[in-house]
Amino acid sequence: MIRRGLLLLLGLALFGSALALVTAQHRARALFIDLERAQQQAKQHDVEYDRLKIELARLSQPAYVEAEARRIGLKPVDGSRTVFLNLPAAVAAAPAAPARK
Amino acid sequence: MRPDTPRIAAGAFGTRSPRRGGGGRSRSERVGFNANPLLTVALPAWRSKLLLFMLFAAFVALAGRAIFLMSGASSDFLQRQGEARYARTLDIPATRGRITDRNGVVLASSIPAKAIWAIPDDVDATGSQLAELARLLQMNLAELKRRLATDDRSFVYLRRQVDADVAERIAALRIAGIHSSREFKRHYPEGPTNAHVIGFTNVEDRGQEGIELAHERQLAGRAGSRRVIKDRLGRVVEDDWLREPLDGSDLALSIDNRIQFIAQSALRNAIEKHKARAGAAIVIDVTNGEVLALSNWPSFDPNARGRLSGDAIRNRALTDTFEPGSTMKPFAVAAALEAGTVKPHTPIQTAPGRLTIGGRTIGDAHAHGVLTVEEVVAKSSNVGTAKIALELPAQTLWDSYTAAGFGQAPQLGFPGAVAGRLRPAKTWRPIEQATISYGHGVSVTLIQLARAYSVFARDGDLVPLTLLRTDAPIVPVRVMSPSTARALRKMLEMAVAADGTAPAARIPGYRVAGKTGTAQKLRNGQYVKEYVSSFVGFAPVSDPRIVVAVMVDEPSGGVYYGGQVAAPAFAQITAGALRTLQIAPDGPLEPTHAPLIALTATKAAR
Repeated sequence: MIRRGLLLLLGLALFGSALALVTAQHRARALFIDLERAQQQAKQHDVEYDRLKIELARLSQPAYVEAEARRIGLKPVDGSRTVFLNLPAAVAAAPAAPARK
Repeated sequence: MRPDTPRIAAGAFGTRSPRRGGGGRSRSERVGFNANPLLTVALPAWRSKLLLFMLFAAFVALAGRAIFLMSGASSDFLQRQGEARYARTLDIPATRGRITDRNGVVLASSIPAKAIWAIPDDVDATGSQLAELARLLQMNLAELKRRLATDDRSFVYLRRQVDADVAERIAALRIAGIHSSREFKRHYPEGPTNAHVIGFTNVEDRGQEGIELAHERQLAGRAGSRRVIKDRLGRVVEDDWLREPLDGSDLALSIDNRIQFIAQSALRNAIEKHKARAGAAIVIDVTNGEVLALSNWPSFDPNARGRLSGDAIRNRALTDTFEPGSTMKPFAVAAALEAGTVKPHTPIQTAPGRLTIGGRTIGDAHAHGVLTVEEVVAKSSNVGTAKIALELPAQTLWDSYTAAGFGQAPQLGFPGAVAGRLRPAKTWRPIEQATISYGHGVSVTLIQLARAYSVFARDGDLVPLTLLRTDAPIVPVRVMSPSTARALRKMLEMAVAADGTAPAARIPGYRVAGKTGTAQKLRNGQYVKEYVSSFVGFAPVSDPRIVVAVMVDEPSGGVYYGGQVAAPAFAQITAGALRTLQIAPDGPLEPTHAPLIALTATKAAR
């Protein structure tokens, strides 16, 4: 009688664990789908990032910037229109000093 | 078992519940017509036993078969067959590496795109759907219909490298028989500016030209594959990497995009102004041999390669050789200084401006009289240079040219770089030795010239050039003594002085040095009235940082001297490059101090 009870108990346990296995598998797969989706999204963001970098490069290309600058009336700098400031002798002697601030 | 049989039989005929065990007795008492014993069928007991056994045997056979399939010899095969019905192997393409300039500006980058294709037999679309599809594919309707009516009824590409958002709109049309597959599209945001350096890829994202071709292996990466199990909704539920994809690595060029643009626009201006056929410009950082700019014109847009011509694709700076003309003179003079046959102040008689060697006469554009060696370079006297060169053994001269890199293809890792032509010294006749000394009878590429000039800029040694940003220590090769290099620097600075050959090369704020070159072109062995104007120089002279070389092919606007055509472009490029590199000025600010006054005025106003 005891043996039969034990058998029944083990049988139930086996059945229960089988169900648990199925559930666990199902949950693992559901999580995997989420992971996959997240990875897919990350990839999408990467692509978007690349696209934006291309766009940035396109908009910041010197030819474009120059054309826009000329449109609003700017001119290229040259040596003759650059102000060179000569450091006072004391500062020039110790050039590292101002950099430390 | 026996008593049951009649009961079932009797029951079957609907008798009123015969009592258990009393069958024998009651039969004699009340015999209903439907309980006639004659009608009782006695089934043999073995039949039911046999049936039971057969059922049992069938189950045993099934179980045996199951065990056999699961553990038998063919189980592997079956396993695979089973998997094939739910598992898929996906190819995961590797993303091609980006190409950036030295400051990380993207010059080339790949983005997923779609190839749109059709199975013509399956296509079932209304007229308006087709019209919409044609619009999205940017092709006209007739062309689309022609493609769909093609002979091969099973597959036809409609358009490749379609942007992802357009592909989504096409998918949203839900036309049967129109499909898409993944691929990559390479974008070149800078367009024509860097086209020659970077090159381009083909529709399969494989490098075809330039850096894209030279560094194909590094950029391409390696595709991977992945085994997945998909559920009924097509979602991946389990996976197993067979091979991880290896994305291509990014490549940082030595090119500085800003300097590249400056070079390109200066070159373009010069070409348009002088109605030239083509041109090239190079900027080299002499401290480590990095190429900061390498520009060619005409150029092309690598994003729109519908009408590419070989003329526009060619990287002239590397692939086109030309007779350099006077830009070669400093090397003959340097060889003479090294050999000790002359000193910078040795007088050379160049009057009357011509010199006859072996029955052939060479001449100067202007007769000069007695010039020092320095002045020979500064005033670019052919006669003076020839006289200096003829003092030297041909082999010495050849060695010095070879040491400076002439006659050998530069080790640049770039497809199509050529060596130019420098014949062996043994074959030189004296007249040839004379003409080679001033740059005729020898051919070079612009990049060779630029690299050779870095010898003067670098105190007499030569560094390998590179198109990639590099931090590795470089190993310079000594070509001439530092004192010779310094002497040449002085001569080359004199050449751009107000009374030199190229005052137009000067820029405010910096001391520059350089040499013009004007050479007639050879056509079918004859010199024709077509010229190649060039200028090669470096700046700032007090501590050279860049070498700039400019070449303009066939200027036809009336002027053709290097000092008039190439030198202004050199000045423009050098000024821009020095400013971009934030190099402190080392020369006088000749033109004006007006802005300084304006600044003071503003301060006073406050």
